[in-house]
Amino acid sequence: MEAAEEIQLEKKAKKQSPWSIARRKLVRNKLAMLSLGFLVLVITMAYMAPLLTGYDPQRVDIINRNQPPGEGFLLGTDASGRDIWTLLLYGARTSLTIGLVCTAAVIMIATVIGSIAGYYGGLVDAILMRFTDFMMNFPFLVFVIVLASIFREAGIWALIIVLSVLSWTGAARVVRSKVMAEKENEYVMAAISIGSTPFKVIRKHLLPNVMTTIIVQATLLLAVMIVAETALSFLGFGVPTGTPSWGNMMTEARDPNVIRSYWWIWIPPGLAITFTILSINFIGEGIKDAFNPRSAR
Amino acid sequence: MLLYTLRRILIMIPILFLVSIVVFSLAFAMPGDALSGQIDPTQSPEYIEEMREELGLNDPVHIQYGRWVAGIVQWDFGRSVVHRMDVSAIIGERLPNTILLSAMSLIITYILAFFMGRYAGRNPYTKGDYTIQGINYLMLAIPSFVAALFAIFIFSFQFGLFPSTGSVGSGMTPGTFEFWMSKLYHTFLPALVLGALVTASYTQFLRNDIIESAQKDYVRTARAKGTPESEIYNKHILRNSIIPIVTLFGFDIASIIGGAVIIETIFSYRGIGELLISSIERRDSAVVLSVTLMLSVATLVGNLLADLLYGIIDPRIRVE
Repeated sequence: MEAAEEIQLEKKAKKQSPWSIARRKLVRNKLAMLSLGFLVLVITMAYMAPLLTGYDPQRVDIINRNQPPGEGFLLGTDASGRDIWTLLLYGARTSLTIGLVCTAAVIMIATVIGSIAGYYGGLVDAILMRFTDFMMNFPFLVFVIVLASIFREAGIWALIIVLSVLSWTGAARVVRSKVMAEKENEYVMAAISIGSTPFKVIRKHLLPNVMTTIIVQATLLLAVMIVAETALSFLGFGVPTGTPSWGNMMTEARDPNVIRSYWWIWIPPGLAITFTILSINFIGEGIKDAFNPRSAR
Repeated sequence: MLLYTLRRILIMIPILFLVSIVVFSLAFAMPGDALSGQIDPTQSPEYIEEMREELGLNDPVHIQYGRWVAGIVQWDFGRSVVHRMDVSAIIGERLPNTILLSAMSLIITYILAFFMGRYAGRNPYTKGDYTIQGINYLMLAIPSFVAALFAIFIFSFQFGLFPSTGSVGSGMTPGTFEFWMSKLYHTFLPALVLGALVTASYTQFLRNDIIESAQKDYVRTARAKGTPESEIYNKHILRNSIIPIVTLFGFDIASIIGGAVIIETIFSYRGIGELLISSIERRDSAVVLSVTLMLSVATLVGNLLADLLYGIIDPRIRVE
């Protein structure tokens, strides 16, 4: 009887872990859930693009140039006669993939540098943080454009590397300050005193406790990376011209005539970018709020 | 404060040196040089090789870097091969436009943020506040180039209120009253886009600060004395809440630089950002080098300014 009660209590206690509290808070946040649903829908559609359209995104069709939305073409066609709806789906694939890969890379760099600087402190910290400060001094967009123009021929991977290498600084600082605060706890001292290696202390004890911060940073970064990719492609320094991406689709709108007369070419990708960023921001806010023990929601 | 300022400025010198090395190596790594960009088929390869030799493009890297730095110290930024002008002259021609655009966008930001932040802070958790928050979320989410395209589409083409391109009307004599009015007229729309997008963080900052200040003891004292509510908000709270916003100014310089590059390109606004993009496209390395260095230094100065302003407002920062 007593044992059963204990198990019951234990189960209840398990339910109250910070993760489950946060998850329940997040599920109750309608705006965040709506945004998550939208984002999942966009991602699913992007990766199932061939099933949702009959057109080839690369096919040039001179006869059907600049067709307005309607018969045959759901959202019209662009200056090369490519179907906008098809480009939107395939473009989502490119833009979201670049955003996700960059975010993963940036989080990895930021976590490694931030946790090493925070854990060791002293000289290591000083050197790494001066380096971070130094990287922060550069105007981000200007350097991305200059670097991207140098590696323009190298394709998408070069773009991903350029974006990642230039944007880890903010996240690294946040991870460092969190690790520094966390390392003062007794359990870390206990782990060190039983002979755990620094790598093990960081991986098994510190990182799980700064995970929430890292997740929030990752959502913020995902939005920033998608904007950076689309803006670069729009200016002609991003994804190679033949590859459909949301930014590339809007390049034609650099011509005022297209802005005025062929609005169906640039408005769909423009709205797609904006709503995607909006939903990512709402999800990020929701996660931040869910992990905040002081918020009552 | 003086010691703190001096220390901050001295730290900048080695950073400036490192920045110059990074910028130079970037420009050095750019594919081709100004000569390969515009090879005239009538000219023999020997002639081009001769030109390269003459311009010093075949010298070792460190000698080229030394020559470049020596030039900058004497305010000589080299010569643009595309424009056939001194780089300092081109920048001198473009810089006032960018400064006008930035100043106007900052004024727009301050005005919008002041009124929206004040309203939302005074009436938190009301319909008006939620509307302002919604606008803020939208402005944070919409990328600047998308916002610019929508602004051109709506204000220039649907309503015909503002010109969609250029920085000044054609056929104007510089210096006249009409010239300046035309300039302001052309600058308004890009400045509005640039300014509106930065407004969100200012508004949020002011709103939260007003809500927080409204709970403080000195406000309760003022209420207890019978001070009218409007006076409490306009005099007691607002004066305290405006101060921390000043510190955001330094960081703004960095965000405006990035925004200006995109906005100027879309509006074909003849400023520094548009110059950078068109020079990269034409491989005009002397211009790219100078503009990149200039914008990096401006960002550096912006960060320094932010630190110094913090130091003025919060004396604890000064102690290190």
